[in-house]
Amino acid sequence: MVSTPRNLREILGAVTKYELGGPLLALALLVAASSALSPRFLEPYNQRILLLQTAPLALIALGESMIILMGSIDLSPGSTMALAGVVSAAAFRVYGFQLHASLAIGALVGLAVGAVNGLLVTKARIPSFVATLASLVAGRGLVLVLTEGQPIVGLSQYRVLTIELVGVPVMVWLFILFGAINYVLLKRTSVGLLTYAIGGNEEAVRYSGVRVDIVKLVNFSLAGGYYAIAGLMMNARLEVAYPWTGWGYELDAIASCVLGGIMLSGGVGNPLGPVVGAYMLTLLTNVLILLGVNPYLQWVVKGVVLVTAAVALTRGVRYVK
Amino acid sequence: MVVFKLSSEIVLSTKGIVKEFPGVVALKGVDFDLRQSEIHSIVGQNGAGKSTLVKILSGVYTPTRGEIFVRGVRVRIRNVRDAKKLGITLVHQEATLVPNLSVAENIALALYGVRGTVFARAKEKELLELARNYLELVKLRIDPRSKVRDLGVGERQLVQIARAIAENADIICLDEPTSPLTSMEAKVLFEVMEELRKKGKSMVFITHRVEEVFQIANRVTVLRDGVKVFTEDVSKTSPYEVIKHMLGKELEEFYPPRVEAKSLSRVSPRLRVVSLTTASNGKGVKLEGVSFDVYPGEILGVVGLLGSGKTELGKALVGAQRVVSGEIYVNGVKATIKSPVDALKLGIFYIPEDRRREGLVTQLTISDNIVLPKVFKTSSMSLIRQAQVERSIAGRWIKSLRIVPSDPSFKVANLSGGNQQKVVIAKSLETGAKILILDEPTFGIDIGTKVEIRKLIRSLASEGYSIVLLTSDVDEALALSDRILVIASGRVTNVMENRNLSREILISMLGGQVG
Repeated sequence: MVSTPRNLREILGAVTKYELGGPLLALALLVAASSALSPRFLEPYNQRILLLQTAPLALIALGESMIILMGSIDLSPGSTMALAGVVSAAAFRVYGFQLHASLAIGALVGLAVGAVNGLLVTKARIPSFVATLASLVAGRGLVLVLTEGQPIVGLSQYRVLTIELVGVPVMVWLFILFGAINYVLLKRTSVGLLTYAIGGNEEAVRYSGVRVDIVKLVNFSLAGGYYAIAGLMMNARLEVAYPWTGWGYELDAIASCVLGGIMLSGGVGNPLGPVVGAYMLTLLTNVLILLGVNPYLQWVVKGVVLVTAAVALTRGVRYVK
Repeated sequence: MVVFKLSSEIVLSTKGIVKEFPGVVALKGVDFDLRQSEIHSIVGQNGAGKSTLVKILSGVYTPTRGEIFVRGVRVRIRNVRDAKKLGITLVHQEATLVPNLSVAENIALALYGVRGTVFARAKEKELLELARNYLELVKLRIDPRSKVRDLGVGERQLVQIARAIAENADIICLDEPTSPLTSMEAKVLFEVMEELRKKGKSMVFITHRVEEVFQIANRVTVLRDGVKVFTEDVSKTSPYEVIKHMLGKELEEFYPPRVEAKSLSRVSPRLRVVSLTTASNGKGVKLEGVSFDVYPGEILGVVGLLGSGKTELGKALVGAQRVVSGEIYVNGVKATIKSPVDALKLGIFYIPEDRRREGLVTQLTISDNIVLPKVFKTSSMSLIRQAQVERSIAGRWIKSLRIVPSDPSFKVANLSGGNQQKVVIAKSLETGAKILILDEPTFGIDIGTKVEIRKLIRSLASEGYSIVLLTSDVDEALALSDRILVIASGRVTNVMENRNLSREILISMLGGQVG
């Protein structure tokens, strides 16, 4: 009787010692609980929808995590994905570009917005919270100006992203691919090392004679590119480019990072954490819908889950701001 | 010397205070006492434990072990509130006033805090009257309605003291109150302190300027490495004795004998600094007209106490401190150094005093930290990291500097201070920089590793590195330097060959202004 809880604690201790252990454990519990609560949860059809819904969120969460790992924050994902989606759709429908060119244009828009964020932070020396808040607002404004508030329809060709490849939609392959790319980028490249180092102790990195600003610029730009891909995925899923796409997604992106074990103070977290976090967040919504919970209450549930994850993460931290 | 009439009543005392932080023991069993109507000065080098002690007395930290007595009664001080209830207040090193509130409001804040009347209605008139009274006590003639952000540093210190009095404190701890002050402002502060002393207040006064002890204090206690080494009435001691106790001397036998640098030919300097002057930004010391040369294979010891400007000099050389005038030449060519990136291109690397804050990314591994500045070069196409290459680089340094443990993937946070310093040195050497600026390289390191690091510095010089050794440790400077430069208040006061220089003479130069 005495040894059981201790063993359990030891097992838990061993699992949570590994960066991704905590999030994966939470995910396992969530999946187990969901399948017990709703028999339809594990049905392939439901899982397929779940993965399709996760894909765009996973992409923006991956982008966001690079910024958070650097100790900064990015509030622009929602607006950036909308802008990329709308510009790409306009290039395709209004200006008659080929589909591939239109997709590329969308990605470039994301990179450009990210680069602007990076320049605002490094050159104009604006804190990332404020710089990207400006992008959040201005980006959405630009979308509304471009579309005059109307959706751009007729994007059935974007279906190349939703068709199935070996039984799985291309979009899902894409998010697996970018998860892998992100992992390699953060764990196996020079930029990745410096990203963790800047988040850990920017002062020390600067005294080491490293061009910190370039690393920041690269990361902000890449993150912008990730958001753009998420925007293109939204176009494909809905076959329409809505001007209000991604409204409020920046918060889901940050929440996914927190659920995935990325410390908001920077420098700590597994590169795959955001994917796990994004899946959990989507799953939570999915289950609540399956259970027929009042949709307004879902926000409250998400909030509670987020607080729980944050408490688990900041345990032992002396001060939090 | 004025003879003070002291009542001998002890108002505050500690017994065997120990304070452990993760990885360091800041205080190793300190007995301290403070008498009624006394100004008791605590001096000591960086990291001696001065601030830690007053923070324990005022409830900012709780001691790991040990007892505190207030007027003979054992007390437990668990937080700042407890301390304030016992009449103990700390005037912090950095002003803890709210800059956007008025002076009166800041004083009022303190009152709410103590009396617990958070929702008390503040009548502006009463507040102003109250504030005026307290400002009177600290001889501050300013409008209590003025915002704290518009006050000078000296005035802010006085407001903090006024607030302490308003809190009914009769034991006031002052943590280096004079370090940001001009000598005129310090004089005003001393007058106020003396006035308060006569009114029966007792004060603990931390300073790093030994001469101030002899201007204002009744007794002095010297802390070194967390141990109380000396307590005496000021009238019965001398500045020389105090400085000697601050620096300590039991280390002497550990110093390797000076190796004469045979091949040292001073033909052309590798680094030449000509009348370097930095901007005064209110914080830190302003350097004025600092000039010196460093030759290949030479160790230039820059000796100065805390607040002399040696750290500012180190940072100015790598572009981390704004330089307003003066020139730096590297190998005879005029250099523009705006950031550590520029400095590294010229082969200058600064090894900071505060390793954990400025030297290392502690949650990364030994290997990651060592390759950090060079990671673009060790990666293929500047991007893909080569684990094999990195491990072998780290392994080489771990072996040659004897870093323990020898596992390159060990987290730096869990290393001892000495091994952390070795990692920073390894990083600096791996960059290929030939001019190393070491700021207190053996500070806070155990004796064994201290000796190792000193030998390493010596051998680097004989390999041809140029080393600027910034230190407050006279023995370290004497053991290692070819030449010694003494710096005080941002100015060079002496430059000399390290030949037949005695410890006593050098110490007296450091406390030069004391006389």
